[in-house]
Amino acid sequence: MNAKERVMAVINGQKPDRMPCFGANSTVTYEQMEKVNAYWPEGHDVGEAMAKQALAAYSVLGFDAVRVPFCQTFEAVALGCIRKPGKVRELEGVPGIEHPPPYKLTDTPVFPDDFLSRGYIPELIKAVKFLKKEVGDEVPIVAGIIGPFTIAGSLLDSVPLLKATFKAPEKIRPFLDVGEKAGTMLAKALVDAGADIISCEDMTASPELIAPKTYLEFELEYQRKQFDAIPVPTILHICGNVDAIVEWMGQTGATILSLEPKASAHLAREKCGSRIVLMGGVDTATTLFLKDADTVKKGCEESIADGIQILAPGCAVAPGTPTENLLAMVDVAKAH
Amino acid sequence: MKVLDDFSNIFKRYDLDLEVTGEARAVSKDATMQEIAQFVVDGDDEGILPAVKKALESKPPVDIINDALIAGMNEVSRLWDEGVYFLPQVILSSDAMNVGIAECEAKMGKAMDRKSTVVTHTAEGDIHDIGQVIVNALLNANGFKVVNLGADVPVEKVVAACKEHRPVMVTGTALMTTTMTAFPKIAHQLKAAGLNIPFICGGGAVCEEYVTGYELGVWGKEASQAPEMAEDATAGESWESMRSKWNG
Repeated sequence: MNAKERVMAVINGQKPDRMPCFGANSTVTYEQMEKVNAYWPEGHDVGEAMAKQALAAYSVLGFDAVRVPFCQTFEAVALGCIRKPGKVRELEGVPGIEHPPPYKLTDTPVFPDDFLSRGYIPELIKAVKFLKKEVGDEVPIVAGIIGPFTIAGSLLDSVPLLKATFKAPEKIRPFLDVGEKAGTMLAKALVDAGADIISCEDMTASPELIAPKTYLEFELEYQRKQFDAIPVPTILHICGNVDAIVEWMGQTGATILSLEPKASAHLAREKCGSRIVLMGGVDTATTLFLKDADTVKKGCEESIADGIQILAPGCAVAPGTPTENLLAMVDVAKAH
Repeated sequence: MKVLDDFSNIFKRYDLDLEVTGEARAVSKDATMQEIAQFVVDGDDEGILPAVKKALESKPPVDIINDALIAGMNEVSRLWDEGVYFLPQVILSSDAMNVGIAECEAKMGKAMDRKSTVVTHTAEGDIHDIGQVIVNALLNANGFKVVNLGADVPVEKVVAACKEHRPVMVTGTALMTTTMTAFPKIAHQLKAAGLNIPFICGGGAVCEEYVTGYELGVWGKEASQAPEMAEDATAGESWESMRSKWNG
């Protein structure tokens, strides 16, 4: 099986030749940038550099998919946020959103007609087209979007959004609505450009930030609407320990749930049934970034024993992560 | 004047001695105090102001702070520890408590006595300051003066704030591995400036082995440990002794 056949086999409930391994989030590192001669900050805002860096997941690491982009700012910038460069002194990092945010809770957010041509979105679409030309049907292309709640957090800032979930929850609906529209419209454009899988990162919807009932009463319906509108297999990634909401994550319509190791894959299986595909593996900060290959392998084996079907870093890979630790993940996948 | 003299029951885990789960207990037999405490528990930063103003007509501000505002926040902490409350509620309750404290301080004509000063910040390049928001709320509720430097704070600014405010300890949070590299730099510069204070580091990306790899560093596993760590630092414990107590 080639990488795409392997991944699609798991998604379609068939037996792959071995376990696939790839990231639901960014897997780009400084060492991979050196190998493919494409660097940040260009990788965040120039389509071709972005695609070259994404290819490293396949060509350097041997992962079973390539994935763009590497930050969470594309929809937010197109909706009026300002991108804050990730540079810290000499080191290029992951861009964030500049303070203050464009909206207050009392405002009505606007969804621009020319959304897809705003900010860095045209470059992201270019990157997917470039990847499609390079990998064809050999390797699946994973394209990332951001979940409604997290986009609302960029538009309002997270503390005002969190307060509003209790003080004035109805006021967050227009922001979730705009966030959902943005992610869905971007997802469709990325599928048209050649994306095989859409991965939705929704960090702010984690029970570590909002109450589970806020997820149930507000975010769930927007995620359902979003996944329902996306014509290819989807991944839902929510950071942290999601045990309290994993049952509802399984009701969003996402094909795959991406879990951090602190969430229980066993519980996810129990709550979500046999059809949902579970991906995950090891903690990106405390294990992949800081420990050695043996520790990484041990962590992967534990996650597989817990019920993981696609091996993956638990969240976005830290750019300083050693290549050998990522290669160790592939070694484990090959043995299963 | 001792304003806050008994913190023994604040921000401790109550899960070994549970009488009621899932709802706030009454904190005072005095109806006025209980009403104010309830506004804190409910995180109502608007309703609390008239209630505190009315109470100030008949009660000393010190008592209102201790027996209603702090006591209410104590309940919030318990509910959070039990998993009944979530982060937004802790933030709202802390806001409501602060509205009440500000009104009491205005009546006293001075700031309430604080135990000591703690400088808090989120690492340069890191805009994820949620962890720090919790640390600030808990330290504040426990009677410490918090110098909040906010998110994305350059190394030099942290060191300058420590020189200016002479805190008993300084905290740093980082969610991203790319940004926590600022911590050893801060520790190094603090030492060079003769400030041998404990530097509590925590947050998503930060682990014990990393933090104990540089001098002054003490790993903060959970935000809820911050008040007790500040107690230790206020009592004059060195960073070495705090590290051996809290880490390893």
